[in-house]
Amino acid sequence: MVLVLALGDLHIPHRAPDLPAKFMSMLVPGKIQHILCTGNLCIKEIYDYLKGLCPDLHVTRGEYDEDVHYPETKTLTIGQFKLGLCHGHQVIPWGDLDSLAMLQRQLDVDILVTGHTHQFKAYKHEGGVVINPGSATGAFSSITYDVNPSFVLMDIDGLRVVVYVYELVDGEVKVDKIDFKKTAAPQPAP
Amino acid sequence: MPAAPTGVPLPESFSPDRISGRWLRFSNLRGVRWRINLRIFPSSSSTSIDEIRRVAANARRSYAGLRRQLLIDPHAPKDGNRSPDLAMDNPLSQNPESTWGRFFRNAELEKAVDQDLSRLYPQDDHYFHTYACQAMLRRILLVWCIRHPECGYRQGMHELLAPLIYVLHVDLNYLSQVRGLHEKYFNDEFDRSDCEVVSNRTLKKVKSWDCGSKFTNFVDDLDPDTRDVLLLSDPYGAEGELGIVLSEKFMEHDAYCMFDGLMNGADGVVAMNQFFYTIPSIGSSTGVPPVIEASSAIYHLLSIVDASLHSHLVELGVEPQYFALRWLRVLFGREFSLIDLLVIWDEMFFSLNDSCAANDEYEYRIMCSPRGAFILAMAVSMLLHVRSSLLATENATSCLKRLLNYPKKVSVEKIIEKARSCQILALEANMLGSSQTGLMMNSSSAVSRTGSQSPKSPIRIMPDSYWEEKWRVLHKEKVIQDGDLNNGGKVCGLFETLRTEPNPSPSKNINKKKEAHSIAKHSLFDDLSQNVESVSDDVRSISTCQGSPSLDENVRNCFSEFMGEECPSAENFSVLTINTGPNNEGNDPEIESEKSSLTSNSFIRENEDDNGNIDEECNKAYDPVSKKLESCANVESGQHLDAEMKVVTEAKVRKSASSRFQWLWRIGNGSFHERKMEKGIIAGTQQPSIIGNEDVGHEKYVSSSSDYSWHGDSAKVEDGDKRMWGTLKKLGQSVLENVQVIESVLQQEPGKDGDILGGDGQSAAMAALKDLRKISIILSEM
Repeated sequence: MVLVLALGDLHIPHRAPDLPAKFMSMLVPGKIQHILCTGNLCIKEIYDYLKGLCPDLHVTRGEYDEDVHYPETKTLTIGQFKLGLCHGHQVIPWGDLDSLAMLQRQLDVDILVTGHTHQFKAYKHEGGVVINPGSATGAFSSITYDVNPSFVLMDIDGLRVVVYVYELVDGEVKVDKIDFKKTAAPQPAP
Repeated sequence: MPAAPTGVPLPESFSPDRISGRWLRFSNLRGVRWRINLRIFPSSSSTSIDEIRRVAANARRSYAGLRRQLLIDPHAPKDGNRSPDLAMDNPLSQNPESTWGRFFRNAELEKAVDQDLSRLYPQDDHYFHTYACQAMLRRILLVWCIRHPECGYRQGMHELLAPLIYVLHVDLNYLSQVRGLHEKYFNDEFDRSDCEVVSNRTLKKVKSWDCGSKFTNFVDDLDPDTRDVLLLSDPYGAEGELGIVLSEKFMEHDAYCMFDGLMNGADGVVAMNQFFYTIPSIGSSTGVPPVIEASSAIYHLLSIVDASLHSHLVELGVEPQYFALRWLRVLFGREFSLIDLLVIWDEMFFSLNDSCAANDEYEYRIMCSPRGAFILAMAVSMLLHVRSSLLATENATSCLKRLLNYPKKVSVEKIIEKARSCQILALEANMLGSSQTGLMMNSSSAVSRTGSQSPKSPIRIMPDSYWEEKWRVLHKEKVIQDGDLNNGGKVCGLFETLRTEPNPSPSKNINKKKEAHSIAKHSLFDDLSQNVESVSDDVRSISTCQGSPSLDENVRNCFSEFMGEECPSAENFSVLTINTGPNNEGNDPEIESEKSSLTSNSFIRENEDDNGNIDEECNKAYDPVSKKLESCANVESGQHLDAEMKVVTEAKVRKSASSRFQWLWRIGNGSFHERKMEKGIIAGTQQPSIIGNEDVGHEKYVSSSSDYSWHGDSAKVEDGDKRMWGTLKKLGQSVLENVQVIESVLQQEPGKDGDILGGDGQSAAMAALKDLRKISIILSEM
């Protein structure tokens, strides 16, 4: 029953002043156990705010981040799942599923979280899951029109993960849910 | 096998309880017995096992339903095709109705519960810290707390729950023991792998089955106890498996029922959940939280049972809730080991929880039921157990230290025994508090029935012996204090306080009397006449407190001490003041009191250098007889008067002293001869020898007259009291008799008093006697 928040591409203060108010009211400390941030926060204040939401914060470097010491990619294990984190501007073409699958195999993760396209995507692909939480602030993107603010909350419970997608559409928060089940890990060869 | 109680053929087993000796059903199965006491199971003695099973099964069903409903798993698939409204049911939903919202609230509750559970009974962790047990405890507490959101989870609830689970566990152990002993009755074996196809036993089984009742033939030859265990755990009985009362599978359900019953009080008076509230309950008379009220009830009971310990604790400032909070909230779970605690709870649950108060007038709600009274009584008994160490401490901290670290090695049976007697007191006191005299009768009869002693109730009027004792103690203290006996004021002070003795104020203690002494000392210095009156009055009051030779001895000691230099006179007077006769005898008490009053007054006179009073003395001297009469009258009247009257009269006397003196002066023909007459009277009382000192005699004479004047006035004041008049009349008559006696003695023994009695003395005596007669006539007319 682990709640993992995945968000990114806030671009504060350059492209957006702040998170939407409705998102802010929903994000209260105490409920979420981990935060995966794809990058482009961009300033330290946002980092501190996210740290206040949950002490276990993982950030990868986006191209506009002011802190240059974030890693390019990150992997962690939560419950039965291995999660991978990367901003996504390194993977060309941007947002291409096959390239992202290549990265997933490279990182050897079950769930890969990337951003940069500012568009929500969730693929089930080759026994793994690729998730793009979009932009939490709805910041401008040169490759996407009509960006809606969105983020993702994953509920990891044993071999099952439920992905809740929160999207701000016309001032209202819309929630969607996607279920993924991981097949049991194969027995190691004797 | 214990014999069942005679008279009623009992279908089920009643066996003597190991510890209390009572005849109880299911005495070996605490879990079942407690459930009966907590009103979860029907409690009449004729309930069949089947009914018990049905009740148990119903309770279990309800718990299972609750658990399923309240302990939510948000992942659980919803029923049917109803797609959840994701806007509400997502984890971050702010909606309080959402399942996730409830989940998070329960998670917080769970965190608090877990914190307590990890610290539960660390010394018994082989059972309580197993994963299964902890999970069970957690679930039970969570379900109960979710069901009762107004109460929530409070620290201590887990300690109420733990012994309940433990007794169920013990019951299961017992079951397995019995099962081991009587295996053939429990097993369901019909397939036997051995070659014995037809044995006697299987034949028997088949036969009995043909008869239709499988069990009864076997069961009959078991003792009732084992039979009960068998029937309680029979999977084929009422309600099948769910009805197996002693079942491990449903331990959680049973424990929940017991916990719920304990907390809710089952419509009785004591509901444990109230002890966890911090706001005053609705029907509370005192407006404080129930646990604070119960703590003060403990002190109230303690003040009835042991007032000195109570006052000591109150003086130190030890508030009851400092230690009682813990005692009450976990029902002494922290103070005793688990085994001892089970014995205490046995007794506690044995007391019923129904309210005894017929109406709503009670001082403390908790005292209304026997169970509540037992809880309070247990606390008081525990306090009494450490009484000596508590009384020895001089500050509150060490007191609390003693109480919060209650000694481990205690004899629980003794404490329970004491608690039982205190419980009866508590119930009685509660009924008194509700001011129903009829109930008081009942309670006193109940007391006699149970054979325990009923203590002094503060409301009832004290018997005379109580006051004598008080006087004695008081006097001893005062004697110690009054080292300087030359100070007449102190004498007055002593007598003043002695006078106030008969006032029935049970709350007075020795300390207060000491204060009264000192106050009296200061006040009495002001007005000598008042002193004199008070002294005389005191003396009279002493004489009224008659009946015990020890009292007389005290009086004698008192006077002898105060006499000081006047040794011979003192001895005489002490002898004179010894009253061997009972209260009812008219002559002797009057004379004695008269003498004692004279003695005391004379003593005061000697020490008083106030010239201003000499005039008064002269006035008084003119009417010795009248005063003597008055003193006699007052003595007798004092015997009849209750103390209140006396107090009133004393108060009034102080106010109008001088006027009375003048009035009486007119009546009498004062002369020094009368002094001699007095001496004659002294001789006439047939007591050995007399005073030698004329001055002393004069003083006494004067003082007696002052007494008389005062009492005459007081008699006048108390016009409304017809009883007073009647007694005064009687007094007059008795004085007449006295006078006659004196006359006769005087005539008989003219030479006994040496220089005192000469011809002059005799004539003076006769004149005085005439005056006495006149006054007696006046008195009788009044």
